[in-house]
Amino acid sequence: MRADTTIEAAAPEIGVKLGARSWVVIVLSSALGFFALAWPLIIPAVGVAPQHATDAPFVFAAMLPLILLLVGAQLSEGGLDARSLAVLGVMSAMNAALRPVLGVGTAGIESVFFLLILGGRAFGPGFGYLLGFTSMFASALLTAGVGPWLPFQMMCAAWVGLAAGLLPKRVGGKTEIAMLCALGVLAAYAYGMMMNLWFWPFISGTDGGALGSLDYAPGAPLTENLVRFGWFTLITSTGGWDTGRAVTTALALALLGRPVLTVLRRASGMGRVVRTVAPASPSSPNPPEPVGRVGARDGSGGTPATMDA
Amino acid sequence: MIRFENVSFRYRHDTPLRLRDVSFTVEEGELCLVVGATGSGKSTLLGCINNLVPRFTGGTRSGRVIIDGVDTSHLLPRELARTVGYVGQDPMAGFVTDVVEDEVAYSMEQLGYPADEMRRRVEETLDLLGIADLRGRALRKLSGGQQQRVAIASVLATSPRVLVLDEPTSALDPVAAEEVLAIISRLVRDLGTTVVVAEHRMERVIEFADSVLVVGDDVHYGPPQTALLRSPVRPPLVELGVTLGWSPLPLTIRAARRHGSEQRRAWMELPPALGRPETAGPAALTGRAVVVTYGDVVAVAGVDLALHAGEVTALMGRNGSGKSSLLWAMHGAGRIDAGTVTLTDGSGIALVPQTPTDLLYLTTVEAECAAGDRASGRPVGTTLALLNRLVPGIDPASHPRDLSEGQKLAVVLAVELAGNPPVVLLDEPTRGLDYAAKNVLTEIVTTMAAEGRAVLIATHDVEMVAQTCSRVVVMAEGEVVSDGPTRDVLAGSALLAPQVAKVSNPIPVLTVQEYLDAC
Amino acid sequence: MHRAVLPRYLHPFAWWGYALALVAASSLTTNPLLLGGIILAVSVVTLSSRGDSPWGSHFHLYLWLGLFMVVMRIAFRIVFGGGGGPTVLFTIPEIPLPSWVQGVRLFGPVSLESLLTGLYDGMQLAAIVICIGAANSLANPKKLLASLPGAFYELGTVIVVAVSALPQLGESLLRVLRARKLRRGPRTRTRRDRLRFVETIIIPVLSDALERSLALAASMDVRGFGRSERPPPRNRRWSVVTGIASIVLLAVWSFRFVAKTPEISPFGVPLLSTVLMLGGLGCAVVAIRLAGGTVRRTQYRPIRWRAAESGVLASGVLVAVLVALVAAGDSSAVLAPTVVPLEWPTLTPLLAVALVLAVVPAALAPTPERRKVAA
Repeated sequence: MRADTTIEAAAPEIGVKLGARSWVVIVLSSALGFFALAWPLIIPAVGVAPQHATDAPFVFAAMLPLILLLVGAQLSEGGLDARSLAVLGVMSAMNAALRPVLGVGTAGIESVFFLLILGGRAFGPGFGYLLGFTSMFASALLTAGVGPWLPFQMMCAAWVGLAAGLLPKRVGGKTEIAMLCALGVLAAYAYGMMMNLWFWPFISGTDGGALGSLDYAPGAPLTENLVRFGWFTLITSTGGWDTGRAVTTALALALLGRPVLTVLRRASGMGRVVRTVAPASPSSPNPPEPVGRVGARDGSGGTPATMDA
Repeated sequence: MIRFENVSFRYRHDTPLRLRDVSFTVEEGELCLVVGATGSGKSTLLGCINNLVPRFTGGTRSGRVIIDGVDTSHLLPRELARTVGYVGQDPMAGFVTDVVEDEVAYSMEQLGYPADEMRRRVEETLDLLGIADLRGRALRKLSGGQQQRVAIASVLATSPRVLVLDEPTSALDPVAAEEVLAIISRLVRDLGTTVVVAEHRMERVIEFADSVLVVGDDVHYGPPQTALLRSPVRPPLVELGVTLGWSPLPLTIRAARRHGSEQRRAWMELPPALGRPETAGPAALTGRAVVVTYGDVVAVAGVDLALHAGEVTALMGRNGSGKSSLLWAMHGAGRIDAGTVTLTDGSGIALVPQTPTDLLYLTTVEAECAAGDRASGRPVGTTLALLNRLVPGIDPASHPRDLSEGQKLAVVLAVELAGNPPVVLLDEPTRGLDYAAKNVLTEIVTTMAAEGRAVLIATHDVEMVAQTCSRVVVMAEGEVVSDGPTRDVLAGSALLAPQVAKVSNPIPVLTVQEYLDAC
Repeated sequence: MHRAVLPRYLHPFAWWGYALALVAASSLTTNPLLLGGIILAVSVVTLSSRGDSPWGSHFHLYLWLGLFMVVMRIAFRIVFGGGGGPTVLFTIPEIPLPSWVQGVRLFGPVSLESLLTGLYDGMQLAAIVICIGAANSLANPKKLLASLPGAFYELGTVIVVAVSALPQLGESLLRVLRARKLRRGPRTRTRRDRLRFVETIIIPVLSDALERSLALAASMDVRGFGRSERPPPRNRRWSVVTGIASIVLLAVWSFRFVAKTPEISPFGVPLLSTVLMLGGLGCAVVAIRLAGGTVRRTQYRPIRWRAAESGVLASGVLVAVLVALVAAGDSSAVLAPTVVPLEWPTLTPLLAVALVLAVVPAALAPTPERRKVAA
């Protein structure tokens, strides 16, 4: 009878489990998402009708939210407990707060990757992926950033969080921070390029009529469009915005990565502290309240008279 | 209603038992008070009632928990949501939504109540707790007492059979605490809800309690009078009764006055010799005509205050009376719009903020102390040695946030004291401290005063003031309304009198020790 | 009989449906008159129906963003080669670039045609952004999250938690900053110490936030969060299968769409593409339905779908239908006024009717309720 009523619960951990099915969904949706971004370069330029080149950005902008909804439904449904959910919510809020108040659509993110990368690293790829989603969405909601670009931002940020969670686990110490910094720089540039790639056909028209020299040229060979896009992204953002983002992210990770990571990892085991009062940690044999001893000390020899007064 | 059968709990196989073979039965409609020192397992015990322990915290629990005749041992906390309502210490941390009405409805939304029933219950619950006029307000703009009432409303909306409250007033000022406790006793009387409450302001609830659970190495359950005899922490009134062997043990001022009537008559004829505070040293910190304003709001309206070396001064007054603003203005870190503050001796002022953890950012106590050494330019180890003198037994390798509230306070105080400042200001240090932790604080403060420091404590805690402080300053609306020796200010006040003074009135005896000495 | 129209929030789906229909209409045209009309109509509706809600106050930001996009596009034309049209307005001396910079031209002659192309495309983008901004300002986001299908309940809760945690973070930050002034920096300040300052702020705020979030999780748990039963494994399996099928179908469709693969089109409808697209959408709906499971949650004070909601949605959809009709009809050229040769953009009567329809919600929608707030 006694044996029946013993309940064993695993020590609390924060994270989102990704099963094989979730992985399939993530990989397929990412592939489609990447196509939705990079179609101007991927599609063999020969076959593209001018009519569809104008339509395509709109069609993809309409399709991606649906894909993201699908992924969101599949991931969270697998097992998002109240604890991970609350931490996800609070970290999304922090990310949204770190983002400049006037984050203008495509290029407003300066420091959002910092906590995203650390969150993914501390709590695993599933958590990182969802954190990318929710951070972008929350910040868009709070800073008037809801627009056709939002699904693409959410997807790219989710990739960053996922990548941070997938980095080799064994690495620790300085190497770990260096690895995260490298990811930060890579993510900053890649993210900027992705968003430019999405924005490119919009901002620089696809109309055959009066073509600027940086515009997407439907029907032109891949190399030509690659060059055009290369200059577009280099001139508009890589030089300024993206580099700024890369530098701030890497700097923040190098300086704050270690202490923040410690705090996050501690949170994973902290679930047992339901309230503010902590139980005795196993490392200290003392009960948490050594107050009795002070009372018993009774002033004898305990008076700190040598205070350099 | 609630039955524990041989419940034991531990976090891991290699850690000691937090609860050992606990068995008791709380009857329906009882108000059961849970007492015990901080860290004694009170919260663990409360968590077992709705299976937060071990489902949420992890760990191994054996034994059975039976609620309303049903073995609930294997249910998840959320499956018990309709049966057990649970309210934690900090109401703000538990709010999911941001508007009063939505918060009250949240639990019912989760449980799938139909929309019309939900609407009816929300209205009823709002009225029951007297918060109907707050319905559209943002939760974080409410006062602490209002927030805690909303938190209680939000679990009561589903009419649970059992209400569990884990130190519901520890973050509140006395007025708000009174408000919340009055609501709790009303719930027991009017609705017959079974309430289990852990509360360190025991003196406020003890008279309504039907039973007491004393949590220590063993758990005792019984009627208040007998159970409190075993309790390691007791309110002054009970302490007095126990020491003087009063029987039955008085739980109210009225009962205690009956026991003490003879003693009072004796005192009326021969007044006891009560100590007067020693004359204080020279002024260490002097504020003249200090004014602090925030926009249109005047927080401090031209206050003159001098703190003397070796004197412990209490700064009292309701929330929003300007205590904190005055403290920060005197320190120099806060806003000051007019007036002057002069520090007689130049080596700085220490201020411990309301939330000491705001100052802790390193991963070990040792590292925090080392940072304190560096900041004050002292040889390595000074701060740690100081901490060991203040509160011995803190493992230097432990994480500051794992410490108890009292220990956190001590760490911050040690870091602040490393620079050897002649003036120490404490902003509501007693929040969240139980009797034992307050005793430590008293000890620390007395030591600091003995070293010739001037100490100012902003607090609501009358009992602590009676024990520790020699002078009391009361503020209201940004002005000082009374300033004088503790005995004169406290004993003569209807609101601020400590329990012992209420028993001995009109003889101004303040503490249990004084009462015993005067006998 | 006269029926009183009480102030209330309109169902968020009605506003989003209206706005998305206008987005669809905008994406069909580059006619500046029509686009300007849509922007105007949406602005009128938003300003008259948004109430004093906090989410409604952001609308002007979207207007600025729209303007920014138009200006950006025109500026692009001027800076990177604005030629390509017969009517050269002015010429900025071209800056010669090294030969390895293939194909990039800096400044040079600026033609009216190229500026107009920039303006037209920019206005289209601005109209889309402003329409979405309008939906964002009009629809109550809390009610929107509460109205989502069961499958998104958890993600929706994350957002709710995030939004309500933000002000607490701010308070926490202010508290820590104030407390920070109390711990003096080391006498000898190294650069490392100065950099440490950020750490001393962010660590307490973060620790505080995480501790709070765990308290929140406990509170949610004991109040019945997640009590709705998980879908049975069979549903879950099918949900994944249909989800994957949906992604694959849509991927094939979008590739064919962009690559313009030729196919049989009886009655002008591309057969395979339509089947692929509809199949993908259908699978997505099924997958989301199945993932939601047997949810037993309810909504407090739900907004019921009434006549006003239908009216608002219908007016938006009608606008899109009218524009689509014009696009399919003989006068479709009016939707995309050509730049070379230059022609003055015009509106047909049908399009004028569409613009009038787009403003109708301003009269249809009830004023949003004001929460009674005690002083």
